[in-house]
Amino acid sequence: MAGADVGGGGGGSHKKHGKKKAKKRVSIRIDMTPMVDVAFLLLTFFMLTTVFRKPNTLEINLPPDNKTEVKMAESNLLTIRCDEQMNLYWNIGFEIPHKFSFSELRKFLQERQKENPKFVVLIKIDRKSKYHAMIDIIDELNLANLGRYSLSPMTDIDKKEMSKATI
Amino acid sequence: MPRIKKARVAIRIDMTPMVDVAFLLLTFFMLTTQFRPPEEVDISLPLSHSEAKLPESNTMTVNVSDSGKVYLGFDSTILMESMFGTQNRLRQAIEVKMENLGDLLMKARIANPKLRTIVKSDEKAEYGKVSDVMDILQKALINRFAMVTNYTNK
Repeated sequence: MAGADVGGGGGGSHKKHGKKKAKKRVSIRIDMTPMVDVAFLLLTFFMLTTVFRKPNTLEINLPPDNKTEVKMAESNLLTIRCDEQMNLYWNIGFEIPHKFSFSELRKFLQERQKENPKFVVLIKIDRKSKYHAMIDIIDELNLANLGRYSLSPMTDIDKKEMSKATI
Repeated sequence: MPRIKKARVAIRIDMTPMVDVAFLLLTFFMLTTQFRPPEEVDISLPLSHSEAKLPESNTMTVNVSDSGKVYLGFDSTILMESMFGTQNRLRQAIEVKMENLGDLLMKARIANPKLRTIVKSDEKAEYGKVSDVMDILQKALINRFAMVTNYTNK
């Protein structure tokens, strides 16, 4: 007890005496606030970055083989051609093609759909053209409710036809 | 009547349950977050208005890169292993030659007849390549396939 008294009065002076003193047991209290802050920060980060976004798909059904033939009236056939430079050409039946562009596509298809909902669309895209041309055209056809379309390869005859195009 | 003065006590809420829940959620989100697996090819998808969702299982994906290379991938590691060998089992897709694609597709369809075909092509890929891929699909009697696009509402 005397040691305690001395220690109490003289600050750290008791060490000099070489006396051992029982350390006071203090219950350890760690401030958890920063940890919890970080935890919440991470929680919000993971909650916000978890995206359940999945890319969408465009379903395509191909005919069983290349030999499928569909007979139809010429006036119901709408041909859309797309050349290397991503210019579009349209014609009905065997008319001379008319040139137009992707920005006009939606309006154009809506008008055609109103005119004749039975149109069958033949899509011919140049091999050197870009893939998104096909997606854009099919997507616009779906939007315009022109559900009957087919893709066919572009031939030299088509190229000749396109060179005759009028605006 | 004199009012009884309430003794003011410092309110101490026990935060432990809340922190517990927070940590639980944290671990949940940390473990479920799937970081995108390393892609074999960088593909920028074209945009469409289609809202159909991509199938999640039993898929085989034919990737066409903007340079016209074709990659084939399966979602199951088992199929990846049986098609391309053990060393490739964890990869997303393997580059294949156009002339082998048809055979590989057939082989995969025999291994798992429920496979759904997905064509994932870069928007800038040459149309000719995609057209060739579609021809091969048609020859392999895959008449129904999905093309991956990103949704746009414009």
